[in-house]
Amino acid sequence: MDRNGVVIIGAGPAGLTAAHELVLEGIRPTLLEKSGQAGGLARTEVYKGYGFDMGGHRFFTKIEKINQLWREMLGQDFVKVRRISRIYYRGRFFKYPLSIANALFNLGIIESAMILASYLNTRIRPLAREDNFEEWVSNRFGHRLYNTFFKTYTEKVWGIPCREIRSDWAAQRIKGLSLMVAVVNALIHNQKAKTLIEEFFYPVKGPGMMWDRFVKAIENKGGVIRFHSEATGIRHDNNHLKSITYLNHGEEIERPLDHLISSMPLPRLISILQPAPPKEVMRAAQSLSFRSFIIVGLIIDKPALFPDQWIYIHNPDVKVGRIQNFKNWSAAMVPEEGKTSVGMEYFCTENDRLWTISDSALTDLAARELSELGLASESHVVDAVVFRQPKAYPVYDYDYDLNLGIIKQYLTSFDNLQSIGRNGMHRYNNMDHSMETGRLAARNILGEHHSLWEINEESSYLEQEDGTSVSSVLLGRIMNKAFARMDKIAFATATGSVLGILMFLATLWLVIKGGNVVGPNLRLLGEYFKGYTVTVKGAFLAFGYSFLWGFLFGWLFAYIRNLILAFSIYHLKKKAEAITLRDFFDQY
Amino acid sequence: MKVAQKNKREEKLFSDILWLNAKILGLVLGIILGLVIFVATNWLVIKGGNRVGPHLSLLSQYFIGYRVSFFGSFIGLAYGFALGTLSGTLLGWIYNKITTLRNGKNHRGQ
Repeated sequence: MDRNGVVIIGAGPAGLTAAHELVLEGIRPTLLEKSGQAGGLARTEVYKGYGFDMGGHRFFTKIEKINQLWREMLGQDFVKVRRISRIYYRGRFFKYPLSIANALFNLGIIESAMILASYLNTRIRPLAREDNFEEWVSNRFGHRLYNTFFKTYTEKVWGIPCREIRSDWAAQRIKGLSLMVAVVNALIHNQKAKTLIEEFFYPVKGPGMMWDRFVKAIENKGGVIRFHSEATGIRHDNNHLKSITYLNHGEEIERPLDHLISSMPLPRLISILQPAPPKEVMRAAQSLSFRSFIIVGLIIDKPALFPDQWIYIHNPDVKVGRIQNFKNWSAAMVPEEGKTSVGMEYFCTENDRLWTISDSALTDLAARELSELGLASESHVVDAVVFRQPKAYPVYDYDYDLNLGIIKQYLTSFDNLQSIGRNGMHRYNNMDHSMETGRLAARNILGEHHSLWEINEESSYLEQEDGTSVSSVLLGRIMNKAFARMDKIAFATATGSVLGILMFLATLWLVIKGGNVVGPNLRLLGEYFKGYTVTVKGAFLAFGYSFLWGFLFGWLFAYIRNLILAFSIYHLKKKAEAITLRDFFDQY
Repeated sequence: MKVAQKNKREEKLFSDILWLNAKILGLVLGIILGLVIFVATNWLVIKGGNRVGPHLSLLSQYFIGYRVSFFGSFIGLAYGFALGTLSGTLLGWIYNKITTLRNGKNHRGQ
């Protein structure tokens, strides 16, 4: 293989990781990046010294290789951030997962009571069908809570009514934390899992710092990164890619290739293949859709706004979906101490009304909404900048799976093409999963065999046991034992029997010992056990009475124990569901 | 982890029957009963008075050699431990036997 024969499209996390993996093995790939900077969807834009992270990227992973890579690149240039993110609704901050006291305080007794009534109603009479997201969430949290906390934000993100989002899709996405993990955490405070949920790492100057280090490392080892280079054509013959054409500062360049790793959006990749793929593949590619977002960066003349790294805006009367407070991610993101920078995130679709309005109109909108929300007045906004991010989120619509299958089948017919990353696979990969696809694509070129499409199929970014390792199986068994139901009748019988035997022996012992007055103190039991005397006959009577009382006590004990256990499990299950919904929101 | 597999494991969390470890239950009850008698005896010894522990001393009817004194508290500890251990082990053994009868042997050890 020609050491210069690998071409990688896209200098995002996936492309950079692939290039880095290759240069470590002495291969010198050429990386083509359409824009002028590295990082792709996870880049950090810098405006007048202020860092704007495109969406807020937390660094945590259970993929050890990726974790090592991050550490290798940034060393100590990470800050540990204690996660604070809440829902902002009608001028109040709501903790998430919702806590009863906080919700009661913020919503008031009447609204809280109505939410509770709605919840109890769905518990008693759940909806018979769960065809869409609205029904799915309502069945778990009650319709009123759904309307208050879930409907607006979800519709802002996806731009379609919740009734049009399939419930099986929701169930697939909301699978983060299992009940078992919630139980383990509650019992033994599993620090690792807790850490991932409550704390995360972040590069001191934003994720862009990480990608800059990657660029340096790749170039130092002979890799070539060409910015402002957009792939415009890929020639192929007999299921083998031959060459790639790209535009570099207006100049069209064609070069041969041995291997191509692409992280460009699938519709774009399909459209530049020459000769063109079959019509059904073209149709499938054109059917894939994406959501985009706009970040309006506002520089505020105030030292602090709120303690959260980001807040979800659930108010239906404003368009902004999420607000990032970059100073709270890392103080170094803001160069002036007395000022704060926020990223007002607007979810939209490319070329819709929001996407096409001018930057100044967007700035006005963002400043106005920030003021309407009561977070800062318009007069405090001293500067602003607008960033548009097309194709930020692959949309899992009704037909996406079918279309993706057609494209996948076609692309895998090429022996030297691999598609990686979020848009390259049209899959909701997190940053670490995208990087892993890049790493494994590089390993495939080096002779290994990895199926990239299986990454993230069954794993969640939440740290949890996968149910297959020895430790997790053992832990599962321990948990099953700890949370097993006590057999009430068995425990009652055992308690009754032991107590009966003890009383029987106690009485008999005194009878055998004899004396002038046999068992003057023990006979006081006769006050409770009618007919009881310290005699052989009394010993049998004592057995009967004691068995009865022991049985009743044992049954009650087991019943209460099981009841408390069932309540704990129910509570943990609800908590797990709430946490998974939080993580569902966190992904967008 | 497959969803079906995960659900199966979570279902077990609700439905498994508790099995008692008779030896450990015996040991725990033994330690508790032994300590209760030890502390109760010494408490009365420390309190003192004309007649120390007239009611507790009735235990000597069963625990030969036991007295409400510092030395007696150790004898009480030993008797209490023995009685608790026997009772706890018996309780666990009976519970497990009945549970096996009611739920079947196959349930055990899952």
